[in-house]
Amino acid sequence: MPGDCHYLEGNANAKRRVAHVQHLLQQIGLEPGRLRMFNLSSAMASQFAEYVEEMTRQVEALGPNPLRIHHSNTPLTEEET
Amino acid sequence: MDSSTVTNGYVSGSNLERVLRAGHFAVTGELGPPPKRRQPCDPKKAALLKGYCDAVNITDNQTAIVRMSSISAGAIAFQEELEPVIQMTCRDRNRLAIQSDLLGAYALGMRNVLCLTGDHQSFGNHPAAKNVFDLDSIQLVQVVTAMREDCIFQCGDVMKGQEPRFFIGAAAAPFADPLDFRPYRLAKKVKAGANFIQTQLIYDIPAFVEFMRKVRELGLHQKTYILAGVGPLKSPSMARYMKESVPGILMPDELIQKLELAGKPWAGKSKDELTKDEKKERAQAWKQEGIKICIELIQELKKIEGVAGVHVMAIEWEEAVKPIVEGAGLYPRPEIPAPATMDAVQE
Amino acid sequence: MIIAEQKNLNEIKNLIGDAENVLVLGCGTCVTVCFAGGAHEAAITAASLRMATKLEGHPRQVTDLTVQRQCEWEYLDEAAEQIQQADIVLSLGCGIGVQAIVEHFPSTWVAPGLNTTFLGLPTEQGVWMERCAACGDCILGLTGGICPIARCSKSLLNGPCGGSENGHCEIDPETPCAWQLIYDRLKSMHRLDALLEIQPPKNWRTSRDGGPRKIIREDLRLPAEES
Repeated sequence: MPGDCHYLEGNANAKRRVAHVQHLLQQIGLEPGRLRMFNLSSAMASQFAEYVEEMTRQVEALGPNPLRIHHSNTPLTEEET
Repeated sequence: MDSSTVTNGYVSGSNLERVLRAGHFAVTGELGPPPKRRQPCDPKKAALLKGYCDAVNITDNQTAIVRMSSISAGAIAFQEELEPVIQMTCRDRNRLAIQSDLLGAYALGMRNVLCLTGDHQSFGNHPAAKNVFDLDSIQLVQVVTAMREDCIFQCGDVMKGQEPRFFIGAAAAPFADPLDFRPYRLAKKVKAGANFIQTQLIYDIPAFVEFMRKVRELGLHQKTYILAGVGPLKSPSMARYMKESVPGILMPDELIQKLELAGKPWAGKSKDELTKDEKKERAQAWKQEGIKICIELIQELKKIEGVAGVHVMAIEWEEAVKPIVEGAGLYPRPEIPAPATMDAVQE
Repeated sequence: MIIAEQKNLNEIKNLIGDAENVLVLGCGTCVTVCFAGGAHEAAITAASLRMATKLEGHPRQVTDLTVQRQCEWEYLDEAAEQIQQADIVLSLGCGIGVQAIVEHFPSTWVAPGLNTTFLGLPTEQGVWMERCAACGDCILGLTGGICPIARCSKSLLNGPCGGSENGHCEIDPETPCAWQLIYDRLKSMHRLDALLEIQPPKNWRTSRDGGPRKIIREDLRLPAEES
């Protein structure tokens, strides 16, 4: 949880970096909601499941990653992503 | 006073200089050229100051908002028989423009100049403008003094023809930071050649008394004329705003309370509950108290050794100048005849 | 060191225009240290451009490469092949780097990916502040090592002005008043007398006001016949 990181400031640093990447995604033209950070410990199994479901719903609502839709409708190669 | 004066004792012969030299308590006022109108200065406002001030400051792009230049507005005010104190800031002009403008100002009849650093352009309506600040206010005082006393330009070239003989002023902010340094900064301005000083608005007499004590210790009161800044308060909120948001102004709570007391008859009601007439009456009451406070401040300032006059700043309330000057016993203003010919000054 | 910031991606996309083959060139010196244009940033910028141009329906070839410094020909030479193959080089070096590429590879079109902002240092991780104005005539010896040209908003030499309040500049409460800093330092070193002297008007000829500057060190130049 915030303030309880095993690595002390690790999760605080991660939070800032996640915000930075979300901003970058927006600049690129991707939805920032495709990246999200949740705080929990490894002992919180049911919470983890809830978050995974929540995130899945969030991303599904956004639709497929636009980068995966080639203009000729073929999926991107590894190199292209 | 200053050993470098001409035979009749005046450096410029301006009315302000003559009044101060004769030992009178001087009064200067302030007029700001309007930002958008084509008129250089509102003739109604000028008329309110005429006869109540020995000279009137004409501001120069004050708060970095573009208006007609101080020298142009001053030249027009001069034609209206108001003696101007033109302001020169370091923000907008380099040393060439400054010296060039001063030559012109003198030719147009200006005789008093106030040398200022200038508010940073980010405050005004052209924040994207390039900074100048080629000189600072102290160097500016030195340059203007050298033009008058040594007849040279800043680069050392000798001036041909009439040198501009200004009565040179500078500003002082007694309560700005670092507080301890302010009397010494004033000393630098005097050393540079400042003939008169106008201070920031003074509302805290004990603090100013302390400042003046240090000023006298440095002997500055004998080398320059210090005019204390005064300004009538319009309302308790104006006083509070100045206390909280304007750097360099000390506002005693006592004055805010006096203003609030003046508004007491209407204190029971909230802003929305008051009628238009009631608001008008309350504003009048506050203004009357504001003028009364200003008069009392002037009377206290007169008692301080080294204070040679006051600089009344009643911007957008020029009507207050008359009751203030009269109430403080400073009316009529002395009339000291100009030297026999201006040539006598120019020798 | 030189501090710079990345331009936003939109501006960079406009600068790229229709170029098909883009080389993002990073720089391993100043802009690495201020996290604006090093190898890491070059890689991210290249990936961002690939993604963004793909989303717009006109994907480009965007590669990235980083050299030790863009401001010296010998380091640029190492990237000569890639530079010459690109339709456009997006330089993540400071303004000097951008210009160096152009001077060394005149037939290459180069766009700046950064806004070079000032000469300064990190006061704490993630925060950089301006310290030097490169005026060409250093007066730090007079002011206790604090520069009034760079750090005073009005570049006063006989400051402070009346807008100094609680140690801050009138234009921004986050900006320290340089003259308060100078005063405090000289006071702590018992050298306040220095502030009583009137500093004369500055000779701005040595600064950018005097025109673009140049230094020649004859003792370092290579003799013509040996070069």
